[in-house]
Amino acid sequence: MTATAAPVHHEVHEHHGPPPPPRGPRRLLYPGFLRAIWMTALFFGLGSAIVVLCRWWGGWHPIWKGEMIVLVGALVAAPIGFLAGIGSFDYWTRYAVGAPTVPEDHSGHGAYSWRDYFRVNTDHKVIGMQYLTTTIFFFLAGGLLALLVRSELAKPGMQFFNNQTYNGLFSVHASLMIFLFVIPAFAGLANFVVPLMLGAPDMAFPRLNALSFWLLPIAGIMMLSSFLVPGGAFAAGWTGYAPLSVHQPMGTIFFNMGVQWAGASSIMTALNFLVTIITMRAPGMTFWRMPLLVWANFTTSLLVVIATPFIAGSQFFVMFDRVMHTSFFETAGGGYPLGYQHIFWFYSHPAVYIMMLPGFGIASEVISVMSRKPIFGYRLMALSLMAILVLGFSVWAHHMFVSGMAPWLRVPMMITTLLIAVPTGVKVFSWLATMWEGKILFATPMLWAVGFVSMFVIGGLSGIYLGAVPIDIHVSDTYFVVAHIHYVLFGGSLFTIFAGIYYWFPKMTGRMYNEKLGKLHFWLTFIGFNATFFPMHLIGTEGMPRRVSDYDPQFAHWNMFISIASFFLGASTIVFLYNMVVSMRRGPIAVGNPWRALTLEWQVSSPPPVFNFDEIPQVVGGPYEYGVPGARHAVLSTSERTADERVPVD
Amino acid sequence: MRRGSIVQLVLFGLIAAAAGTTLALAPAWLPEPATREAGRIHFVFWFVTAICVFIFAIVAAVLAYAVVKFRRQPDDDTDGPPIHGHTGLEIAWTAVPTVLVTAIGIVSAIVLAKDDAAGANPLRVDVTAQQFAWSFGYPSYGNKRSDILRLPVNRSVVLHMTSKDVAHSFWVPEFSQKQDLLPGIHPTLHITPDRVGTYTVVCTELCGLGHALMRTQAIVMPQKAFASWAKSGRGGGAGQGTQGGGNAAPPTGQEGLVLFRQQGCNGCHTLEAAGANGTTGPDLDRLATYAQTAGKPLNGFIHQSIVAPNAYVEKGYPKGVMPDFGKTLTTAQVGALADFLAASVNKKQP
Repeated sequence: MTATAAPVHHEVHEHHGPPPPPRGPRRLLYPGFLRAIWMTALFFGLGSAIVVLCRWWGGWHPIWKGEMIVLVGALVAAPIGFLAGIGSFDYWTRYAVGAPTVPEDHSGHGAYSWRDYFRVNTDHKVIGMQYLTTTIFFFLAGGLLALLVRSELAKPGMQFFNNQTYNGLFSVHASLMIFLFVIPAFAGLANFVVPLMLGAPDMAFPRLNALSFWLLPIAGIMMLSSFLVPGGAFAAGWTGYAPLSVHQPMGTIFFNMGVQWAGASSIMTALNFLVTIITMRAPGMTFWRMPLLVWANFTTSLLVVIATPFIAGSQFFVMFDRVMHTSFFETAGGGYPLGYQHIFWFYSHPAVYIMMLPGFGIASEVISVMSRKPIFGYRLMALSLMAILVLGFSVWAHHMFVSGMAPWLRVPMMITTLLIAVPTGVKVFSWLATMWEGKILFATPMLWAVGFVSMFVIGGLSGIYLGAVPIDIHVSDTYFVVAHIHYVLFGGSLFTIFAGIYYWFPKMTGRMYNEKLGKLHFWLTFIGFNATFFPMHLIGTEGMPRRVSDYDPQFAHWNMFISIASFFLGASTIVFLYNMVVSMRRGPIAVGNPWRALTLEWQVSSPPPVFNFDEIPQVVGGPYEYGVPGARHAVLSTSERTADERVPVD
Repeated sequence: MRRGSIVQLVLFGLIAAAAGTTLALAPAWLPEPATREAGRIHFVFWFVTAICVFIFAIVAAVLAYAVVKFRRQPDDDTDGPPIHGHTGLEIAWTAVPTVLVTAIGIVSAIVLAKDDAAGANPLRVDVTAQQFAWSFGYPSYGNKRSDILRLPVNRSVVLHMTSKDVAHSFWVPEFSQKQDLLPGIHPTLHITPDRVGTYTVVCTELCGLGHALMRTQAIVMPQKAFASWAKSGRGGGAGQGTQGGGNAAPPTGQEGLVLFRQQGCNGCHTLEAAGANGTTGPDLDRLATYAQTAGKPLNGFIHQSIVAPNAYVEKGYPKGVMPDFGKTLTTAQVGALADFLAASVNKKQP
């Protein structure tokens, strides 16, 4: 089965950017930051006016209610104004009002100067870079918040912050890392790589792709700025359990709405990936010839599309309880507080796989290429992704073993939870078997990938402890859980994000990163990571609860050690930033395919041309045929094709 | 595979297993159990640890061997052997973990069932949580109330739990058993204390500002001592507040002092008369100054601050944090508490 009927030559495009903006006052009407500024202000004003008018008309006092103006004006209307100002809706607006649409000249596509990264751009490669730089910014912000948390925890008693601020620090830390770093960083890498891997000129919906990116900074700034409002940042944890979150200071609505914007971005991107993967595969690219990274993003996107609406709903309900006095989770009005946890975890457990499966994909790419061997058990690797996808929806209540839910639910949820270790184990064993007898090159991406496998094994094993109900009862809500999630999301997701960034750095920038600094970055992070998070297992089982600003003095020594290690870990990021910034500008020019990989993104120049391929390639074999004499994954130009290769196989 | 490499691989495995075992046995991973349930939970812990060390040893051995043996030589541009898979191996590493996790599941389910079986005639204790205090009631002893959990040793106890406001979680590390408390639901938790001693009850579910300080004591007593305590006077435990002190003679209104501690005011506030030294909320020894700043008469100010805490919040403290006690206390109780607070202030400023 093939996606498109025949190799298509697309018309020759003049490679140029958008026309220069007009001078003078007309510039205010031209899409960009200038228009975004006044439109944000205008929409804020409109939103606020609606609130005031409604309150005046309804006879409610006070007419000027700060919280409602912030909610409607700043958190709902102003972002729409910003998106409209920057130009996300221009094409659709013209179309909707019946104005003549500008013929598509692809001027919104590609980057010709640094300015093109700061406008609505429809090129999936530019969007990928926008995603990555934005998410790394929020990664740094989230990391600094974690260091503030660790400085407070270095000693028992209170040193730097009051309790509410402390609770805000770890809540915003987790929210930024999850919603503004891990999830979108994977989306960014996939944005760059997936269309190239499929042999497609772009994503299926480039304008939607651009819109999903521009939603992200809105969500991130919203979460960060909650520190500035009266009462401080949202402080009920990233889990935001009701009824506590309903009765917190105003910062909570910044979380409720921030999740909506980030979630909308996720869903749109996932739909885009699904349609792209289903309809835009190059001829000959059957499902069983897709690289595992594409498989991983296919399953991840399914998870996002099915699960994300649940967290959107849960946050709306919390907010409605607060501002509209509904009673979804308020017992006084007949609400059901436990319902929040069910809805929340029905998203947030699959979200764990949303944050992990793309990493599995990256690890598969890197390990196969760097070991010069086909991926071991390719079909079972893809099928285990699907198994995790299905099982992932049947385990959410393992976060609630001590919550007071129906007791009979615990054993079935334990069994599904433990069973999910099986497909995950299959992946780990297959990576090991891929490395076995390989010719392994320990370049920086491979170090991160192997580091990921080893750390993820530890995270997986501690997950078995948490899956067994009796042990979970003991360690639930302790530092053991904190250790576990960091082994999975830091040792797992973040390590693979770094593997991916180093692996595709030459493809994205056309330059090579510094290998020595890359290795130094890995070893500093690896040591700092284990020193920070491994002892947390111990203080957790011994009895230290999580999310506390103060603790029993018996844990003082370990906490001091952990805090020092965490600062070491934080400092290792400086090596990464230095390497990226300097190599991007002055690194040695990279060849098109430095890793001698077979997948399609490496068969074009670095960085790739604006429309990726001069002609749509013809896929003729699997993506990992290393060591197979004469094997090819794809043929790029017609002249190369022999008669038998032109026939799509399967 | 050559024989020599198998020997090496096994050697790596043994080293990894030894390292894993040392890590499992050297530190004191779990607190010494004080209930029978904790003993069983610890058994599951060590059962899982044994399996995990086994899996860890295999993975670590293979990984270390691959890292050491299969490095690419600098001038080697060839590929590895094109092995695409091995059906037998793939079936094995699907089947073996399935068996192992099933074993863990069965052991866990059995232990869970045993831990939940309360037997005949257990002692019932009502546990009520609220921001940021614990309160325990003993229905079989004339509804005696205490802010310290006292339990008889070697007797099956069922804790009936609920929360007045948000989610909390009851945990004593030495008891191992844990249960969240939520408003509107009434879960139970079964424990059989088997070691006399004093332990700490900690809240493990984020419940707001005073979460880290929401602690009290759990005292497991010999059965006779428990019986005599339980039958002695009413409202016991008030003299042994969780925040230390508590010996200062109450200026007036024993009931107000008891309420002050039962409602958990001492978790957040400092008040000399109650031996409280919380720092989460405003210092109640300075109530007179606050009332002046608010421009209200002292008694009215105190009353309002209890029933409508957000009407006026002292500068430097966030709004919306203190629970609305107007909803949970009776008018008489609010009166007693307010009288007690006013008296403690007046005593300081004669």
